[in-house]
Amino acid sequence: MIISASVFIVVAFLLCVAAVLAVFGITHVAMSDPAAIEHDGLHRGLAAPTWSLPDSSGRIVRSPPPSKPFQLIVFTDHSLKSFPSVIDGLKVLARETADLEIIVLLRGDNNAAVGVLGLLGLGDFPVVTGKPSLYGRYNVRVSPFVIFIDSAARVRASSLVNYDWQIMKLWRLANIPLQPDPASGARRFPRRRQTARTA
Amino acid sequence: MNTIALCAKAALAVMLIVAGGAKLADRAGFAAVVRLFIPVRALAPAYSYIALAIALAEVILGCASLSFPDVTWVNLIVFIAGCAFIVVSVTGLALHSGKSCNCFGTLSRRKFDVPSVFRSTIISAFAVLAMVGVSPSSVRLGVLTQALLLTAGAMLVAVSFTAAKALAVIPEGQPRVGAR
Repeated sequence: MIISASVFIVVAFLLCVAAVLAVFGITHVAMSDPAAIEHDGLHRGLAAPTWSLPDSSGRIVRSPPPSKPFQLIVFTDHSLKSFPSVIDGLKVLARETADLEIIVLLRGDNNAAVGVLGLLGLGDFPVVTGKPSLYGRYNVRVSPFVIFIDSAARVRASSLVNYDWQIMKLWRLANIPLQPDPASGARRFPRRRQTARTA
Repeated sequence: MNTIALCAKAALAVMLIVAGGAKLADRAGFAAVVRLFIPVRALAPAYSYIALAIALAEVILGCASLSFPDVTWVNLIVFIAGCAFIVVSVTGLALHSGKSCNCFGTLSRRKFDVPSVFRSTIISAFAVLAMVGVSPSSVRLGVLTQALLLTAGAMLVAVSFTAAKALAVIPEGQPRVGAR
């Protein structure tokens, strides 16, 4: 009698553990799928995280931007060198727009990234060392990812990017005023199939 | 024989908990399946509540079967549920073949097909095994053990609910684990 009860308890607990592991496994595999990665980031109109962190030169950078109407947060690291078109797009955007602050947000300490970004001609952008948890608050897993936010800390556009035209299109989308009701806001523009690089 | 029956009973309980927890996370999706089987326009506002009731019933039945294995009428209800699964899968195969059954919410994209009837039959067979192969007096548990198993069941509900909620962002048309 006691043996039967013990068998049931052991089997039940083992099955519970197995079920938890299976559910985690299914979720992990499904969330690693490109279709799931396409839904990373924050939807247009949602509130973006607010923070203030020192950049690589010690200057405090704030999000949302205190002095400019828009801020472009580039989630990347030294691997950005593999995306020359994105680099060109960022340079063009910085050159042609005065009301946009561009910052680079790293996932963590990465001394190499600051040097590499300087070599790529992006040395003028503040490079802020973030944390994986901050990336998590932006729902960003894969880089290079960009999020445009306005001075009210609302997301204007967000997407994984591989080409300069994507950045320009996102910038045009960011300039479209938000609808009064965030729930009826426009969806992010459909992306082409991208060869994303895991950060 | 007794050990196999105990394993079958525990497996059924865990399956019901995971299925119920996942359905709770995707009520709209499961309500759409309910609508397939109850195409009555007057009941349209109730689909969501019917879906919620079914999902909650699965969770409660699974937790009861896991924590109170000596209660015989729970085995009978699990068996009746297993028979209902067969009826649903056969009807689904006949009338809605190829459509998603949402049996595990967004955790799976299983469809109404021949294997789904086969799976339902296995579930019913397990329920019969649990009903006739487990002596109630042999699995009488203490209060502490019951509480622990109930906690494990609640944890399982939370895990399956969270996972199904996370997977709900992936569009229906995209490939998913378990999809054919």
